[in-house]
Amino acid sequence: MAILVIAEHDNQSLKAGTLNTVSAAQKIGGDIHVLVAGQNAGAAAEAAKGIAGVAKVLVADAAEYAHGLAENLAALIVGLARSYSHVLAPASTYGKNVLPRVAALLDVAQISEITAIESADTFVRPIYAGNVMATVQSSDSVKVITVRTTAFEAAATGGSAVIENVDAAGDAGLSTFVGQELTKSDRPELGAAKIIVSGGRALGSEEQFKAVIEPLADKLGAAVGASRAAVDAGYAPNDYQVGQTGKVVAPQLYLAVGISGAIQHLAGMKDSKVIVAINKDEEAPIFQVADYGLVGDLFTVVPELMAELSK
Amino acid sequence: MIYNAPVKDIRFALNALADLPAICALPGNEDCTVELVDAILEEAAKFAEGVLAPTNRAGDAGAKWSPDFSVRSPEGFKEAWQQYVEAGWAGLRAPAEFGGQGLPALVSTAAEEMWCSANLAFSLAPLLTLGAVEAIHHHASEALKAIYLPRMSTGEWTGTMNLTEPQAGSDLAQVRSRAVPAEDGSYRITGQKIFITWGEHDLADNIVHLVLARLPDAPAGVKGISLFIVPKFLVNADGSLGARNDVRCVSLEHKLGIHGSPTAVMSFGDEGGAVGYLVGEPNKGLNYMFTMMNHARLGVGIEGMAVSERAYQKAVEYARERVQSRAVGSPEATGVAIIQHPDIRRMLMTMKAQIEAQRALALYTAAALDRAARHPLPEEKARNQALVNFLIPIVKGWNTEQANEITSMAVQVHGGMGYVEETGVAQYYRDARITAIYEGTTGIQALDLIGRKTASENGVTARALLAEARATADRLAAAGEASLSANLSGAVVEAERCVAFILESFASNPRLAAAGSVPFLKLMGIVLGGWQMGRAGLAALSQQGQEDADADFLNAKLITARFYGEHLLPQVSGLAAAIVEGAESALALPESAF
Amino acid sequence: MKVLVAVKRVVDYNVKVRVKADGSDVDIANVKMSMNPFDEIAVEEAVRLKEAGKATEIVAVSMGVKQCEETLRTALAMGADRAILVETDAELQPLAVAKLLKEVVAKEQPQLVIVGKQAIDDDSNQTGQMLSALLGWAQGTFASKVDLADASVDVTREVDGGLETVKLKLPAVVTTDLRLNEPRYVKLPNIMAAKKKPLDKTTPADLGVDVTPRLKTLKVAEPAKRSAGVKVASAAELVAKLKNEAKVL
Repeated sequence: MAILVIAEHDNQSLKAGTLNTVSAAQKIGGDIHVLVAGQNAGAAAEAAKGIAGVAKVLVADAAEYAHGLAENLAALIVGLARSYSHVLAPASTYGKNVLPRVAALLDVAQISEITAIESADTFVRPIYAGNVMATVQSSDSVKVITVRTTAFEAAATGGSAVIENVDAAGDAGLSTFVGQELTKSDRPELGAAKIIVSGGRALGSEEQFKAVIEPLADKLGAAVGASRAAVDAGYAPNDYQVGQTGKVVAPQLYLAVGISGAIQHLAGMKDSKVIVAINKDEEAPIFQVADYGLVGDLFTVVPELMAELSK
Repeated sequence: MIYNAPVKDIRFALNALADLPAICALPGNEDCTVELVDAILEEAAKFAEGVLAPTNRAGDAGAKWSPDFSVRSPEGFKEAWQQYVEAGWAGLRAPAEFGGQGLPALVSTAAEEMWCSANLAFSLAPLLTLGAVEAIHHHASEALKAIYLPRMSTGEWTGTMNLTEPQAGSDLAQVRSRAVPAEDGSYRITGQKIFITWGEHDLADNIVHLVLARLPDAPAGVKGISLFIVPKFLVNADGSLGARNDVRCVSLEHKLGIHGSPTAVMSFGDEGGAVGYLVGEPNKGLNYMFTMMNHARLGVGIEGMAVSERAYQKAVEYARERVQSRAVGSPEATGVAIIQHPDIRRMLMTMKAQIEAQRALALYTAAALDRAARHPLPEEKARNQALVNFLIPIVKGWNTEQANEITSMAVQVHGGMGYVEETGVAQYYRDARITAIYEGTTGIQALDLIGRKTASENGVTARALLAEARATADRLAAAGEASLSANLSGAVVEAERCVAFILESFASNPRLAAAGSVPFLKLMGIVLGGWQMGRAGLAALSQQGQEDADADFLNAKLITARFYGEHLLPQVSGLAAAIVEGAESALALPESAF
Repeated sequence: MKVLVAVKRVVDYNVKVRVKADGSDVDIANVKMSMNPFDEIAVEEAVRLKEAGKATEIVAVSMGVKQCEETLRTALAMGADRAILVETDAELQPLAVAKLLKEVVAKEQPQLVIVGKQAIDDDSNQTGQMLSALLGWAQGTFASKVDLADASVDVTREVDGGLETVKLKLPAVVTTDLRLNEPRYVKLPNIMAAKKKPLDKTTPADLGVDVTPRLKTLKVAEPAKRSAGVKVASAAELVAKLKNEAKVL
């Protein structure tokens, strides 16, 4: 049977995690269909069509899908899911919001944040804030899975799937979208960035966070992240948070600036290829996972680093 | 500087050694159950760790006195106090009829350990307030109780003890502060008091000073001292705060430690006389102070053990992190965490074993306080009161003397990093120092122990406790703990020899008994601590067979008890020799030779 | 309005769990257990709604072994009015928990259910969504703000791009995120009072729910450890290493 991947998108373009999820589907094996549910989501559907390895793109275009409301999306997906062996979505706030609802309506378990695929019914997923990896086997007819996108490569583009329209399932009338405050940024999104510069509580204030972390990120073409402590202190917005309960990232280069390295933070970034830590406390736990550690006051070190990078 | 409240250890000592279920079963303790105490310990731990401990370091910068006679408490203390009061912790053992929870001393003692470990300087404010509550509750008129207790029991107002004067330290017979009757039935107090802990501050709306002073016609000496309530703000008939009383903090002391707690010089009556209210009857002030002294001295014993615990935790943390030198006997050249080095282990074990023994003895004493207060049988009441009387100077003196050694050892584990202030362990060392001094120095405790607590009852309680220790040694032998049993029974023999010497010499030449009094106090601490460790070992052995037994925890209890037997109990013979044979050389030199 | 909160007893967040030697499971014998931190936030939110006069009664529900009573007592001490324990020694996976909660909801008829967004042991992040689906209710997950009205609730959600607000028709399920509130320290008099609040017990069989697990854990293992690298002395050295050695710049 085929595999259904739920695309995450903003109607215009696909979120990067969709590509990693397709790649996870390829590891399971089978025809891959991608569902693009949205409103005026033609551009996103076109993008999905171009993912290598995707056979079919299902498009459900209706007003009730404009904002990804879980109640409406779940009703749609449940209607399609019984023809598939697996339903996959990125383990983003989008996927985590919808798929458990789908699973419950199908009366099956949901498998969260898989990081590896052992076979079509056996998966590896982190528990206890990533301190333990569990291998779990599903006995359900449909496997409903969210995928930790950093654990899988992005699927290539260059495919040419067919597009098929599917009927909308209607508005459940349970919830309505009121509004959003998205963090505006020209920087790459955290989940997809090659380089991430993250700041911690040592920055001391929102102003200093902006003045120190952001220029360095821009110099490197990097995304900006933050520790929970920095977010809780109001130095950075919530969507910057890297960690077990925030975003899990795995860039090529992760620069932790003034972050002590609480276990919850490490859980969110320890799969990065190269980790650099800048901290004035040489005993900080972050140094135990860093490939390169620089002990020093970030307010001196970061400007020096900027100067070196400009050379 | 993280503090992890040792809830598991406290729970073990409460249940297995201090018999919490029996204390809950005493009349008047019906609301107290083991499950409730568990919940209280968990929440107290969260509060101590999350609210009090984080303010400890800032407290070391000290309180600030201003020329307008106000005192600003250290950063974070005021907020912590507000949270402490709001959460109801101030009322833990305050009387239920005045808004407290009236929980047993055993339970409040367990919680007090956590406050003291988390922030010793802060913890003195609630401890002194509770002392004042106790004194007012037992001795003041109903009218005074109605005015002061409800708001002191909740912590809305704090309390202080104004005893010491520049010429009257350990010897309160020298108190000179005066109280003159006024026409309205109150008194006008004049005089200066020093070393007044939390004498002035900004934590609470009012401060209720308990002041020792002399009436005009009072006899000289200790029999002419009366106790007065002197509030910072007078209280109106409707309970609201009225005029500022004629009492002010004229300066703060600069001290070695507990910088977070303002130690005030208090001046009464600079503008004619502070309004004071007589507590109880005239000239009985010192007796009244004695009734709360047991609780206060137990409290300071807890302080000593608690600051030791905090320092121990810091030492363990550092020893795990600090990598230095190859492992002893290892061919590997790479450095290892110093916790692997045998001498570091020995130091950590020495700290751990003593802290556990002290906690057990302190909680055992607290349970005796509860029995003495509430046991339905008069003979059990009396027996437990005698236990309390005997054990309090030991818990106070031994825990605090060892706190100096244990916190010093924690510095030693840190090496040079401990001597610089940056690591924070030095603060515990400095903070611990006062505990062996205030509320009666170790010397005062030891004199109390050999005189009122041993000689005057002909050693009955001392011998009864040692007999119990011997029975524990026998049970250990039967359980196969030969080494711990032998160490404990050997120490008991030495202790009995010392009790006989103290009884004999106290009658014939009290100077000889007094010369050995502090060593005797320490000896009794070590032996009775060893008795508790033996009981802990037996409890661990019996629990090991139970379903769901916490094998690692119980095994650690057993090993720690054995360590105590092999490292601490043997010190008893050295002390015994000094007590019995060493008094003369201690006193032989003429004064001019010093 | 009645509010129902679900609380889970989990390994305390300060405990570093160990894998059993045979790799069959994590070893949680004798480790410290506490209320799941996200559920504490759920209870706190319910209590705040009650203090604001918007909720009239708070029912706390837990599921699992007998010791979950302690977790419920904590919820009662925080301000819940009564508690229900669905007692079982069986392993409960999120779908089973959602089904059990559905039955409890059917009996209790709350207008709002608040649960933590995930439990810090299995990190599933499913129960609230599943419950909402089974009830046919609206869901507001990962809430950082809850604005309750008579017939609807506005939930501000922490989403990947920032914040999003949805309006849910009541009854509804809300799951809590970290910044919804900061749970209070429990007051001593409330700990004493909690002992006397009602705590009812039921079982999965009483509720007619089959709780058989759908996922089988084949093994657990500790993830590969990352080892510490090298310390560099200067920014210049760092940049050189990143360019020439790590080749990431």
